[in-house]
Amino acid sequence: MLDIALPIAQETTTGVTDDGLKAIALGIGAGLGSIGAGIGVGFIFGKVIESVTRQPEMREEITSIQWLGFALTEAVAFYTFIFGLIAFFL
Amino acid sequence: MTTKAKALIAFGLYILIAVVLVLVLGSNGKNEEFTPTDEFKLDPWVSIEFGPVDMSINKAVLYLFLACVLTTVVMTYIAKRMVDKPNRVQTAMEVMYDLTYSNIARNNMSREMSARWFPFVATLFFFIWISNLIGYLPLPTNTEHSTNIFGLELPTLALYAATANISVPIILTLVVWFAYQAEGIRAKGFVSYVKGWIPSGTPGVLKGPIFVIEAISQFVRIISLSVRLFANILAGHMLILFMGGGLAVILGIAALGWVTLPLAIIFFLLEVGLIATLQAFIFATLASIYFGEATAASH
Repeated sequence: MLDIALPIAQETTTGVTDDGLKAIALGIGAGLGSIGAGIGVGFIFGKVIESVTRQPEMREEITSIQWLGFALTEAVAFYTFIFGLIAFFL
Repeated sequence: MTTKAKALIAFGLYILIAVVLVLVLGSNGKNEEFTPTDEFKLDPWVSIEFGPVDMSINKAVLYLFLACVLTTVVMTYIAKRMVDKPNRVQTAMEVMYDLTYSNIARNNMSREMSARWFPFVATLFFFIWISNLIGYLPLPTNTEHSTNIFGLELPTLALYAATANISVPIILTLVVWFAYQAEGIRAKGFVSYVKGWIPSGTPGVLKGPIFVIEAISQFVRIISLSVRLFANILAGHMLILFMGGGLAVILGIAALGWVTLPLAIIFFLLEVGLIATLQAFIFATLASIYFGEATAASH
Protein backbone atom coordinates (compact mmCIF):
# COMPACT_ATOMS: atom_id res chain seq x y z
CA MET A 1 0.00 0.00 0.00
CA LEU A 2 2.84 2.34 0.90
CA ASP A 3 4.62 1.81 -2.42
CA ILE A 4 1.57 3.12 -4.25
CA ALA A 5 0.80 5.97 -1.89
CA LEU A 6 4.33 7.28 -1.38
CA PRO A 7 5.10 8.46 -4.96
CA ILE A 8 1.69 10.12 -5.22
CA ALA A 9 2.17 11.84 -1.89
CA GLN A 10 5.68 12.87 -2.93
CA GLU A 11 4.44 14.32 -6.19
CA THR A 12 1.59 16.31 -4.75
CA THR A 13 3.58 17.79 -1.91
CA THR A 14 6.87 18.64 -3.54
CA GLY A 15 6.03 18.39 -7.24
CA VAL A 16 8.93 16.02 -7.86
CA THR A 17 8.19 13.48 -10.59
CA ASP A 18 10.28 11.03 -12.56
CA ASP A 19 9.99 13.14 -15.69
CA GLY A 20 11.04 16.24 -13.80
CA LEU A 21 14.10 14.50 -12.41
CA LYS A 22 15.03 13.30 -15.88
CA ALA A 23 14.72 16.83 -17.22
CA ILE A 24 16.97 18.10 -14.44
CA ALA A 25 19.51 15.37 -15.24
CA LEU A 26 19.61 16.38 -18.88
CA GLY A 27 19.85 20.08 -18.09
CA ILE A 28 22.58 19.75 -15.47
CA GLY A 29 24.50 17.18 -17.50
CA ALA A 30 24.66 19.14 -20.71
CA GLY A 31 24.93 22.49 -18.96
CA LEU A 32 27.75 21.76 -16.51
CA GLY A 33 29.71 19.96 -19.18
CA SER A 34 30.02 23.17 -21.14
CA ILE A 35 32.06 24.77 -18.35
CA GLY A 36 35.01 22.46 -18.94
CA ALA A 37 34.77 22.79 -22.70
CA GLY A 38 34.62 26.57 -22.51
CA ILE A 39 37.70 26.80 -20.33
CA GLY A 40 39.60 24.25 -22.39
CA VAL A 41 38.89 25.77 -25.79
CA GLY A 42 39.71 29.25 -24.54
CA PHE A 43 42.98 27.94 -23.11
CA ILE A 44 43.97 26.32 -26.39
CA PHE A 45 43.36 29.41 -28.49
CA GLY A 46 45.09 31.57 -25.90
CA LYS A 47 48.16 29.39 -26.11
CA VAL A 48 48.03 29.53 -29.91
CA ILE A 49 47.95 33.32 -29.80
CA GLU A 50 50.91 33.35 -27.40
CA SER A 51 53.02 30.96 -29.43
CA VAL A 52 52.28 32.63 -32.76
CA THR A 53 53.33 35.92 -31.16
CA ARG A 54 56.62 34.37 -30.14
CA GLN A 55 57.33 32.63 -33.46
CA PRO A 56 55.18 33.85 -36.35
CA GLU A 57 56.92 31.53 -38.82
CA MET A 58 55.46 28.43 -37.09
CA ARG A 59 51.91 29.53 -37.84
CA GLU A 60 50.78 26.73 -40.20
CA GLU A 61 52.19 23.92 -38.07
CA ILE A 62 50.53 25.29 -34.97
CA THR A 63 47.25 25.80 -36.81
CA SER A 64 46.77 22.09 -37.50
CA ILE A 65 47.57 21.18 -33.88
CA GLN A 66 45.17 23.94 -32.83
CA TRP A 67 42.24 22.42 -34.71
CA LEU A 68 43.06 18.96 -33.36
CA GLY A 69 43.13 20.27 -29.79
CA PHE A 70 39.95 22.27 -30.28
CA ALA A 71 37.93 19.29 -31.51
CA LEU A 72 39.25 16.96 -28.81
CA THR A 73 38.37 19.45 -26.06
CA GLU A 74 34.96 20.28 -27.55
CA ALA A 75 34.18 16.56 -27.68
CA VAL A 76 34.16 16.35 -23.86
CA ALA A 77 31.19 18.70 -23.72
CA PHE A 78 29.45 16.43 -26.22
CA TYR A 79 30.15 13.40 -24.03
CA THR A 80 28.26 15.07 -21.18
CA PHE A 81 25.44 15.89 -23.59
CA ILE A 82 25.21 12.22 -24.58
CA PHE A 83 25.25 11.13 -20.93
CA GLY A 84 22.42 13.55 -20.28
CA LEU A 85 20.48 12.10 -23.21
CA ILE A 86 21.08 8.58 -21.90
CA ALA A 87 19.81 9.67 -18.48
CA PHE A 88 16.77 11.23 -20.12
CA PHE A 89 15.75 8.45 -22.46
CA LEU A 90 17.09 5.25 -20.89
CA MET B 1 25.89 58.22 -39.89
CA THR B 2 28.65 56.15 -38.36
CA THR B 3 28.70 52.38 -38.66
CA LYS B 4 28.21 52.07 -34.92
CA ALA B 5 25.05 54.15 -35.05
CA LYS B 6 23.71 52.13 -37.97
CA ALA B 7 24.42 48.86 -36.19
CA LEU B 8 22.73 50.06 -33.01
CA ILE B 9 19.65 51.23 -34.93
CA ALA B 10 19.40 47.90 -36.78
CA PHE B 11 19.67 45.99 -33.52
CA GLY B 12 17.09 48.24 -31.87
CA LEU B 13 14.72 47.70 -34.79
CA TYR B 14 15.24 43.92 -34.45
CA ILE B 15 14.29 43.97 -30.75
CA LEU B 16 11.35 46.30 -31.45
CA ILE B 17 9.90 43.99 -34.11
CA ALA B 18 10.36 41.03 -31.76
CA VAL B 19 8.36 42.80 -29.04
CA VAL B 20 5.65 43.84 -31.53
CA LEU B 21 5.37 40.26 -32.81
CA VAL B 22 5.03 38.91 -29.28
CA LEU B 23 2.24 41.36 -28.54
CA VAL B 24 0.43 40.86 -31.83
CA LEU B 25 0.72 37.10 -32.27
CA GLY B 26 0.86 35.95 -28.68
CA SER B 27 1.06 32.33 -27.76
CA ASN B 28 -0.91 29.37 -29.06
CA GLY B 29 -0.15 27.17 -26.10
CA LYS B 30 2.19 24.22 -26.09
CA ASN B 31 2.07 22.06 -29.17
CA GLU B 32 1.87 18.38 -28.38
CA GLU B 33 1.65 17.10 -31.95
CA PHE B 34 4.98 18.24 -33.35
CA THR B 35 7.73 15.73 -32.59
CA PRO B 36 11.06 17.12 -33.82
CA THR B 37 12.84 13.82 -33.23
CA ASP B 38 10.95 12.49 -36.26
CA GLU B 39 13.85 13.80 -38.29
CA PHE B 40 15.98 10.98 -36.90
CA LYS B 41 13.33 8.30 -37.16
CA LEU B 42 14.03 5.71 -39.83
CA ASP B 43 10.99 4.25 -41.62
CA PRO B 44 11.76 1.20 -43.72
CA TRP B 45 11.04 1.98 -47.37
CA VAL B 46 11.87 -1.43 -48.80
CA SER B 47 11.56 -4.03 -46.09
CA ILE B 48 14.29 -6.68 -46.16
CA GLU B 49 14.37 -8.92 -43.11
CA PHE B 50 16.48 -12.00 -42.54
CA GLY B 51 14.73 -13.39 -39.49
CA PRO B 52 15.55 -11.06 -36.59
CA VAL B 53 18.02 -8.99 -38.63
CA ASP B 54 16.44 -5.91 -40.15
CA MET B 55 18.27 -4.91 -43.32
CA SER B 56 15.53 -2.77 -44.83
CA ILE B 57 16.39 0.14 -47.05
CA ASN B 58 15.59 3.40 -45.29
CA LYS B 59 16.72 7.01 -45.25
CA ALA B 60 20.07 6.27 -43.62
CA VAL B 61 20.87 3.55 -46.16
CA LEU B 62 20.09 5.96 -48.98
CA TYR B 63 22.39 8.61 -47.51
CA LEU B 64 25.19 6.10 -46.95
CA PHE B 65 24.83 4.92 -50.53
CA LEU B 66 24.87 8.51 -51.76
CA ALA B 67 28.03 9.24 -49.77
CA CYS B 68 29.77 6.15 -51.15
CA VAL B 69 28.79 6.92 -54.73
CA LEU B 70 29.73 10.59 -54.45
CA THR B 71 33.10 9.85 -52.90
CA THR B 72 34.18 7.25 -55.43
CA VAL B 73 32.76 9.00 -58.48
CA VAL B 74 34.17 12.43 -57.64
CA MET B 75 37.61 11.13 -56.74
CA THR B 76 38.01 8.85 -59.76
CA TYR B 77 36.59 11.49 -62.11
CA ILE B 78 39.13 14.05 -60.98
CA ALA B 79 41.94 11.52 -60.94
CA LYS B 80 41.27 10.44 -64.51
CA ARG B 81 41.42 14.00 -65.75
CA MET B 82 44.73 15.10 -64.27
CA VAL B 83 46.86 17.20 -66.58
CA ASP B 84 50.24 18.82 -66.16
CA LYS B 85 48.83 22.33 -66.00
CA PRO B 86 46.28 21.93 -63.23
CA ASN B 87 43.00 23.79 -63.27
CA ARG B 88 41.35 24.86 -60.04
CA VAL B 89 39.65 21.55 -59.30
CA GLN B 90 42.87 19.61 -59.68
CA THR B 91 44.72 22.13 -57.53
CA ALA B 92 42.10 21.77 -54.84
CA MET B 93 42.39 18.00 -55.03
CA GLU B 94 46.20 18.22 -54.80
CA VAL B 95 45.83 20.38 -51.69
CA MET B 96 43.53 17.77 -50.16
CA TYR B 97 45.99 15.01 -51.08
CA ASP B 98 48.80 16.93 -49.45
CA LEU B 99 46.66 17.49 -46.37
CA THR B 100 45.80 13.82 -46.00
CA TYR B 101 49.25 12.51 -46.88
CA SER B 102 51.67 14.91 -45.19
CA ASN B 103 49.52 16.22 -42.40
CA ILE B 104 47.31 13.31 -41.40
CA ALA B 105 49.26 10.22 -42.42
CA ARG B 106 52.98 11.04 -42.46
CA ASN B 107 52.92 13.22 -39.35
CA ASN B 108 51.66 10.35 -37.24
CA MET B 109 52.77 7.14 -38.92
CA SER B 110 56.13 5.88 -40.09
CA ARG B 111 56.82 5.68 -43.82
CA GLU B 112 56.01 1.96 -44.09
CA MET B 113 52.78 2.26 -42.14
CA SER B 114 51.80 5.28 -44.22
CA ALA B 115 52.38 3.36 -47.41
CA ARG B 116 50.03 0.67 -46.16
CA TRP B 117 47.36 2.68 -44.39
CA PHE B 118 47.32 6.05 -46.15
CA PRO B 119 44.59 5.00 -48.65
CA PHE B 120 42.40 3.85 -45.76
CA VAL B 121 42.90 7.00 -43.70
CA ALA B 122 42.34 9.28 -46.69
CA THR B 123 39.18 7.38 -47.63
CA LEU B 124 37.95 7.71 -44.05
CA PHE B 125 38.49 11.46 -44.27
CA PHE B 126 36.71 11.92 -47.59
CA PHE B 127 33.86 9.55 -46.77
CA ILE B 128 33.09 11.16 -43.40
CA TRP B 129 33.50 14.64 -44.90
CA ILE B 130 31.08 14.02 -47.75
CA SER B 131 28.70 12.13 -45.46
CA ASN B 132 28.61 15.09 -43.06
CA LEU B 133 28.20 17.64 -45.85
CA ILE B 134 25.29 15.98 -47.67
CA GLY B 135 23.50 15.93 -44.33
CA TYR B 136 23.04 19.68 -44.74
CA LEU B 137 21.51 19.49 -48.20
CA PRO B 138 17.72 19.29 -48.16
CA LEU B 139 16.76 16.18 -50.11
CA PRO B 140 13.25 14.87 -50.76
CA THR B 141 13.31 12.06 -48.24
CA ASN B 142 10.56 12.96 -45.79
CA THR B 143 7.98 10.25 -46.35
CA GLU B 144 5.82 11.39 -43.43
CA HIS B 145 4.62 14.56 -45.16
CA SER B 146 4.25 14.82 -48.91
CA THR B 147 3.54 17.86 -51.02
CA ASN B 148 1.52 18.16 -54.13
CA ILE B 149 3.48 19.51 -57.10
CA PHE B 150 1.59 19.54 -60.41
CA GLY B 151 -0.57 16.71 -59.15
CA LEU B 152 2.35 14.47 -58.12
CA GLU B 153 2.68 13.42 -54.49
CA LEU B 154 6.34 14.12 -53.74
CA PRO B 155 8.00 13.69 -50.35
CA THR B 156 8.94 17.01 -48.77
CA LEU B 157 12.52 18.10 -48.29
CA ALA B 158 14.31 17.06 -45.13
CA LEU B 159 17.75 17.29 -43.59
CA TYR B 160 19.41 14.13 -42.35
CA ALA B 161 23.01 13.02 -41.94
CA ALA B 162 24.03 9.38 -42.02
CA THR B 163 26.64 10.08 -39.33
CA ALA B 164 23.88 11.37 -37.04
CA ASN B 165 22.92 7.74 -36.45
CA ILE B 166 25.17 6.02 -33.91
CA SER B 167 25.60 2.93 -36.08
CA VAL B 168 27.68 4.59 -38.81
CA PRO B 169 30.41 6.13 -36.60
CA ILE B 170 30.57 3.04 -34.42
CA ILE B 171 31.21 0.76 -37.37
CA LEU B 172 33.94 3.06 -38.67
CA THR B 173 35.45 3.14 -35.17
CA LEU B 174 35.34 -0.64 -34.80
CA VAL B 175 37.11 -1.07 -38.14
CA VAL B 176 39.83 1.37 -37.07
CA TRP B 177 40.11 -0.16 -33.59
CA PHE B 178 40.48 -3.77 -34.71
CA ALA B 179 42.82 -2.69 -37.50
CA TYR B 180 45.24 -0.86 -35.25
CA GLN B 181 45.20 -3.53 -32.55
CA ALA B 182 45.95 -6.13 -35.23
CA GLU B 183 48.75 -3.96 -36.63
CA GLY B 184 50.27 -3.54 -33.18
CA ILE B 185 50.13 -7.27 -32.43
CA ARG B 186 51.57 -8.06 -35.85
CA ALA B 187 54.41 -5.58 -35.42
CA LYS B 188 55.42 -6.42 -31.87
CA GLY B 189 53.90 -9.71 -30.84
CA PHE B 190 50.99 -9.88 -28.42
CA VAL B 191 52.80 -9.78 -25.06
CA SER B 192 55.31 -7.16 -26.10
CA TYR B 193 52.58 -4.98 -27.63
CA VAL B 194 50.43 -5.13 -24.52
CA LYS B 195 53.48 -4.42 -22.36
CA GLY B 196 54.12 -1.38 -24.53
CA TRP B 197 50.98 0.24 -23.18
CA ILE B 198 52.87 1.04 -19.98
CA PRO B 199 55.05 4.10 -20.55
CA SER B 200 58.72 3.36 -20.03
CA GLY B 201 60.09 4.76 -16.81
CA THR B 202 57.19 3.94 -14.53
CA PRO B 203 58.41 2.59 -11.18
CA GLY B 204 57.78 -1.12 -10.63
CA VAL B 205 55.04 -0.71 -8.02
CA LEU B 206 52.91 1.44 -10.33
CA LYS B 207 53.15 -0.86 -13.33
CA GLY B 208 50.07 -2.87 -12.34
CA PRO B 209 47.61 -0.03 -11.78
CA ILE B 210 48.94 1.94 -14.77
CA PHE B 211 48.46 -1.11 -16.96
CA VAL B 212 44.84 -1.44 -15.85
CA ILE B 213 44.20 2.24 -16.54
CA GLU B 214 45.86 2.03 -19.95
CA ALA B 215 43.88 -1.08 -20.87
CA ILE B 216 40.62 0.62 -19.91
CA SER B 217 41.55 3.67 -21.93
CA GLN B 218 42.24 1.52 -24.98
CA PHE B 219 38.72 0.14 -24.77
CA VAL B 220 37.18 3.55 -24.02
CA ARG B 221 38.71 4.73 -27.31
CA ILE B 222 35.94 2.84 -29.12
CA ILE B 223 33.30 4.91 -27.34
CA SER B 224 35.17 8.20 -27.46
CA LEU B 225 36.05 8.09 -31.16
CA SER B 226 32.53 7.16 -32.25
CA VAL B 227 30.62 9.38 -29.82
CA ARG B 228 32.75 12.40 -30.74
CA LEU B 229 31.69 12.23 -34.40
CA PHE B 230 28.12 11.16 -33.65
CA ALA B 231 27.41 13.77 -30.97
CA ASN B 232 28.91 16.64 -32.96
CA ILE B 233 26.74 15.99 -35.99
CA LEU B 234 23.65 15.13 -33.94
CA ALA B 235 23.96 18.25 -31.78
CA GLY B 236 24.44 20.37 -34.89
CA HIS B 237 21.29 19.01 -36.51
CA MET B 238 19.27 19.38 -33.32
CA LEU B 239 20.43 22.97 -32.86
CA ILE B 240 19.43 23.88 -36.41
CA LEU B 241 16.12 22.06 -35.91
CA PHE B 242 15.21 23.76 -32.67
CA MET B 243 16.55 27.21 -33.47
CA GLY B 244 15.11 27.23 -36.97
CA GLY B 245 11.56 26.97 -35.76
CA GLY B 246 11.26 23.87 -33.62
CA LEU B 247 11.25 25.90 -30.41
CA ALA B 248 8.68 28.34 -31.75
CA VAL B 249 6.34 25.53 -32.84
CA ILE B 250 6.70 23.48 -29.65
CA LEU B 251 6.13 26.42 -27.33
CA GLY B 252 3.49 27.95 -29.58
CA ILE B 253 5.08 31.42 -29.39
CA ALA B 254 5.31 32.54 -32.99
CA ALA B 255 7.53 35.54 -32.24
CA LEU B 256 10.22 33.20 -30.91
CA GLY B 257 10.92 32.23 -34.51
CA TRP B 258 11.94 35.82 -35.30
CA VAL B 259 14.46 35.77 -32.48
CA THR B 260 15.95 32.34 -33.08
CA LEU B 261 16.11 32.34 -36.87
CA PRO B 262 19.36 34.38 -37.17
CA LEU B 263 20.88 31.99 -34.63
CA ALA B 264 19.76 29.06 -36.78
CA ILE B 265 21.39 30.61 -39.85
CA ILE B 266 24.61 31.22 -37.94
CA PHE B 267 24.65 27.66 -36.61
CA PHE B 268 23.99 26.28 -40.08
CA LEU B 269 26.90 28.23 -41.54
CA LEU B 270 29.10 27.20 -38.61
CA GLU B 271 28.21 23.55 -39.08
CA VAL B 272 28.71 23.45 -42.84
CA GLY B 273 31.79 25.64 -42.81
CA LEU B 274 33.67 24.29 -39.83
CA ILE B 275 32.28 21.30 -37.96
CA ALA B 276 31.66 18.97 -40.90
CA THR B 277 35.24 19.23 -42.19
CA LEU B 278 36.80 19.42 -38.74
CA GLN B 279 35.17 16.23 -37.49
CA ALA B 280 36.28 14.31 -40.57
CA PHE B 281 39.83 15.65 -40.09
CA ILE B 282 39.80 14.72 -36.39
CA PHE B 283 38.58 11.18 -37.06
CA ALA B 284 41.22 10.56 -39.71
CA THR B 285 43.98 12.16 -37.61
CA LEU B 286 43.11 10.14 -34.52
CA ALA B 287 42.96 6.96 -36.58
CA SER B 288 46.46 7.59 -37.91
CA ILE B 289 47.70 8.55 -34.41
CA TYR B 290 46.41 5.21 -33.11
CA PHE B 291 48.08 3.35 -35.97
CA GLY B 292 51.36 5.18 -35.40
CA GLU B 293 51.24 4.66 -31.65
CA ALA B 294 50.54 0.95 -32.01
CA THR B 295 53.58 0.32 -34.18
CA ALA B 296 56.00 2.89 -32.81
CA ALA B 297 59.27 1.66 -31.38
CA SER B 298 59.18 1.41 -27.60
CA HIS B 299 59.35 4.84 -26.02
